[in-house]
Amino acid sequence: MVNGRILIVDDDPDFVAAMKVILEGDRYAVTAAPDTVEGMRRIQADKPDLIIMDVMMSTWSDGFEMSRELKKDPRYEDIPILMLTGVEERTGIGFKSTAGDPQWLPVNGFLDKPVEPQVLLDEVNRLLSGKACNGADT
Amino acid sequence: MKSTDSCLGKLAMEPIPENIRLLKGAYWLAKLRWIAIVYVIVGTYVTHEILRVGLNDVALYVIAGFLVVYNITVLVLLNRLMKADQEVPCKAVNKLVCAYQAIVWVLLNRFTKVDPKVSCKAVSRIINLQICMDLFLLTVLLHFSGGIENPLVFYFIFHMIIASILLSMRESYLQATFAVCLFGLLALLEYKQLIPHYCLTGFVPHCLGREKLYVLGTFFVFTTAVYLAVYMANYIAIRLKHTEAAYRQANIMLREKDRVKDEYVLRVTHDIKGHLATIQASLAVVTGKLTGPLGAEEADLIRRAYARSVKLVSFVRALLRLTQLRLSDKSEMDVFSLRDAIQNAVGAAETRAQEKSITLDCAIESSVDDIFGDRFSIEEMITNLLLNAVKYTPQKGTVRISARDEKNWVLLEVADTGIGIPEKELGKIFDEFYRATNARQVERDGTGLGLSIVRLIVERHGGRIRVESKEGRGTKFTLELPKGQRP
Repeated sequence: MVNGRILIVDDDPDFVAAMKVILEGDRYAVTAAPDTVEGMRRIQADKPDLIIMDVMMSTWSDGFEMSRELKKDPRYEDIPILMLTGVEERTGIGFKSTAGDPQWLPVNGFLDKPVEPQVLLDEVNRLLSGKACNGADT
Repeated sequence: MKSTDSCLGKLAMEPIPENIRLLKGAYWLAKLRWIAIVYVIVGTYVTHEILRVGLNDVALYVIAGFLVVYNITVLVLLNRLMKADQEVPCKAVNKLVCAYQAIVWVLLNRFTKVDPKVSCKAVSRIINLQICMDLFLLTVLLHFSGGIENPLVFYFIFHMIIASILLSMRESYLQATFAVCLFGLLALLEYKQLIPHYCLTGFVPHCLGREKLYVLGTFFVFTTAVYLAVYMANYIAIRLKHTEAAYRQANIMLREKDRVKDEYVLRVTHDIKGHLATIQASLAVVTGKLTGPLGAEEADLIRRAYARSVKLVSFVRALLRLTQLRLSDKSEMDVFSLRDAIQNAVGAAETRAQEKSITLDCAIESSVDDIFGDRFSIEEMITNLLLNAVKYTPQKGTVRISARDEKNWVLLEVADTGIGIPEKELGKIFDEFYRATNARQVERDGTGLGLSIVRLIVERHGGRIRVESKEGRGTKFTLELPKGQRP
């Protein structure tokens, strides 16, 4: 019996490996995709309970674009998205304050890389426990 | 307590816009005129009353009086130009002056068609008018004080130098021609007795105004001297302008290089941070025993590696933040509650303070609330100052943050009973990567970037930061933040 199925969309396989150990240790079933194309394919094939996503992969903003696409699609708009990225200091944009904005950053949670295992687990649990909504709840 | 102000490491050579340079020149000219006025009054008195030289002193005093009114008018006009975009309300006491200013402005606008915007054309037109008027008044002055006999004639040269410095080459040669025409006309009219010649009795042995050879000789020397003065002054002024332009260009290039360097640092540190994040996350998994138990020695080494990666990440984060701040000209400004920002920052520092049994006091005046600025940066700045204070304050000490209203400003103070900063090092603590010697002893690791970030944020908001400290007694940072207005 697993707590939930999580898809990680991140182009760093080493980081994904570390995240997998943390999440699987808390009995989550984890799959991963290295880019947004593979990510979308996996979502369509098997809808996950939560998506953990990086921002900068093949382009500097494909994570943003994918999250907007998902939130526009009625089939997937209910999947909570946790953005886990180090892009904030690169761009200087205060994502923590804008996360949840349906126009700008329609995600349910935002964490800065690197993240402490317990902080990640707490956030994942919060998002999966049904508290999440499409508002700014970070 | 010794104190120091933050001093931004800006390149000293800021390009001065041409219109401002001209305006300053016009002010300088008006200042010089006050000296000339005093000179005319004192000179007339001494020459007439003490040296007993035959002068038309009444006419000269009248000219001095006219010069006073004229110079005030010029200053009014210049002040108006300086404040062209700001409406300055008339105070009751100044009503008379304001009315006068308004009349002058309307009249001058009508006759000179001066654009109310501070354009180069408008200012150079004023300077041209001023110099023309000065030359005319000097000629009149000369007429009433002996005409061609008066050595005051050499003072025309001053105006030629001023014109060459402030105006274009063409304009300065035109001014020289105007001076030659005025002087020639004066000499001719006096020579032909079409206007009276006031002989400088007691200064020259006999009247020279009708001595043909003397008049022609003086006129020839005057003309050549005026044109030569303009030629030489223009030559120097043009060379200076070229040098200044070269410095400006070098300054622009340095800024561009600085920007390229910052972008490079940003890209490299971001990539480093990506790798570090993965290292830290992987080590966190092992130290958290998520992969199973470790032997004592392995656990110790992994724990050390993890601690180092945490420190490295915090350094890279600070460097990224500082570089990103240096690169962005604008932040996301909006109206926000400074009270909330302070309280959030206090909340962020509370746990660390409790760990060291430090009392964290917060006193915000009830009137302190909304300001215009970048909420994220301001909160980050206050948090940085508070965490710094907690870090360098020994156990059971006190850190106090207070905020009070000062008209259009908010005064924020962060004071601690910590280790303080050595007097000699106070001026350097805002420099990037600088850490005070006693701070390094207390806390081996630190980025040396926190206060640089604070200073940059304060200055981005048009504020100021000041530090007072006594080693061993404590430190107080005082921030003056403008409340700002939504543009």
